[in-house]
Amino acid sequence: MIEPVKLADFFLTFLSAASVILFGAVYALLFAYAKVSKMPRLMPLAYSAYAVLFASVITLAKVTNLFGSAFWISLVVVMLVGYFLAPHAIWHLCVGTHAASHHNNPAVDKSVQTPTPPNFGSANTFHQPCKEKAT
Amino acid sequence: MTAIRALNSANLNGGQKLAVKYFTVALALLGAQILFGMLAATQFVMPGFLYGVIDFSINRMVHINALVVWLLFGFIGAVYWMLEEEAGAPTVGLKLGNIIFYVFTATVLVVVAVYLLVQVGPGEMSTQWLITEGREYTEAPRWADIGIVVCVLAFFYNVAATFFKGKAAKGGISGIGGVLLLDLVALAGIYLLGMWYTTNVTLDQYWWWWVIHMWVEATWEVMVGCMMAYALMNVLGTSRKIVTTWLYLEVFMMLGSGILGIGHHYFWIGTPEYWLSIGGFFSALEPLPLVAMVVHAVYDSGVHKSRNNNHPAMGWLIAQAFGNFLGAGVWGFIHTLPQINLYTHGTQWSASHGHFAFYGAYATINIAFFYMATQKLRGDVWMSGNLFGNWKWKWAMVLLNLGMLGMIMGMLVAGFAQSQIERAIGGATWTAFFAAQEHPWFVQGMYWRLAFGWMFAAGYVLLVWDMLTIGKRETRAVQSHDDAALEAK
Repeated sequence: MIEPVKLADFFLTFLSAASVILFGAVYALLFAYAKVSKMPRLMPLAYSAYAVLFASVITLAKVTNLFGSAFWISLVVVMLVGYFLAPHAIWHLCVGTHAASHHNNPAVDKSVQTPTPPNFGSANTFHQPCKEKAT
Repeated sequence: MTAIRALNSANLNGGQKLAVKYFTVALALLGAQILFGMLAATQFVMPGFLYGVIDFSINRMVHINALVVWLLFGFIGAVYWMLEEEAGAPTVGLKLGNIIFYVFTATVLVVVAVYLLVQVGPGEMSTQWLITEGREYTEAPRWADIGIVVCVLAFFYNVAATFFKGKAAKGGISGIGGVLLLDLVALAGIYLLGMWYTTNVTLDQYWWWWVIHMWVEATWEVMVGCMMAYALMNVLGTSRKIVTTWLYLEVFMMLGSGILGIGHHYFWIGTPEYWLSIGGFFSALEPLPLVAMVVHAVYDSGVHKSRNNNHPAMGWLIAQAFGNFLGAGVWGFIHTLPQINLYTHGTQWSASHGHFAFYGAYATINIAFFYMATQKLRGDVWMSGNLFGNWKWKWAMVLLNLGMLGMIMGMLVAGFAQSQIERAIGGATWTAFFAAQEHPWFVQGMYWRLAFGWMFAAGYVLLVWDMLTIGKRETRAVQSHDDAALEAK
């Protein structure tokens, strides 16, 4: 069912596994920051971080011998798709929950937000790509 | 001369007064955990130290038990702290809650005294009932087990009855309250699974992991989610609707991967082979929610600009976010797949992950609550920018965090040497075990762990000093979230 990692690949295993999570976080961070700060030029960097994550997942899969069975390949696919889509999904949820909060209970938010509206516009704006927002 | 604000429990509601008692014992037990951890770390580099007086096995046991109990005391305290505000009613059965606090504390003291003075007993049922059950992390003797169950039931009564009493007045139980109640049922119910044993060690370990894993990676995570939601509302001013929505989502995601993630404990205990697949698959997905939450953190900081009314508490909440991500996420993932875990489980690698994850995910948020309680105890004193004597909390935080990181890295290096020399090259034989223990990388890692342990201990002393003095000479009142927003404009 499993083929253990070779001794020579130990370090690469730890490094690639750590890179998966760390670059997943960098991707999520840059993705969100680009949108919050209206800095679309950061978006290519975010996707570059995802590219490193992609390479890390493939490296990890190779050294831990995951390509030997369909089951473990499915894990690789789930990781690649999951890490790619999660920041998008969470972003939409952020927008949705904050927008709903503004809409349903303005009194509450008035006391806890800045007096000026957040600088990233309405819920509709969020759903547009960064490139369009910047124009 | 600057006026001195005394610690005054008159500023607190009934539940919060009880919470402060739990927080005080929790902080003292953290000291005990550090003390016995230091003794055990010293024995790693000087094996003859206290040999025959308090052996390594006893120090390690008290170190870990103190961890579990101080975190539990902190969690229980946090629940009492938020109870009346969340429920909208005074704590029901507060007198019982107070009695239970003293019973619980006395139980812990007696158990520790027996651990230290009696230590071991003959292989008879009397040992299991009166001295120790012998299983890692759940060593408490059976009488104490039963006592803990009684205490937890009384605690649950306090919480549930208060929420139901407030239900009519508030028009329902809050989202945080609902999640908390369900979590407490699971927390108490799962503990019962650790109270029986079988002579089949695989079966025994199978259920024992339910207690350990389901507490740490399920019910405690949910508990921390509730605590974080409450803390964000109070410290940062985030709206209830938002934190509640995210609490539901976090619980869904955590439990989605966390429950079957138990499989990574079943890799090598004699359970069927399919656990390699289940454990590997779901464990690999466990960090995904943590990564996804980065987006939420960035979004919220964009909205609130991190303006808050309690800088020390906010600092520790941020430490929790990073610590949980790195300790549980990165450190867990790098050795969670069975293909590599074959070599790393039970080595210093696991200890490195354990230290980072427990500290990052749980210790930090308890400390944040201690600061929230201190602020109110001083009469809602100012604890934002230019706080008088703010070097203490900052240096305590630096020393504790750097000390912990240093220990983690020391254990990581030692664990790397162990996994290669003892497991991969030596084939996990007895000879290979000693070969790894004597390897310079391992030995140096243990020295580094001890040195940074001293740094951590210094941070603890400073933390306690700060808890006793912070806000003492402040004359300003707490900054409201409205003021903070206007100030930033």
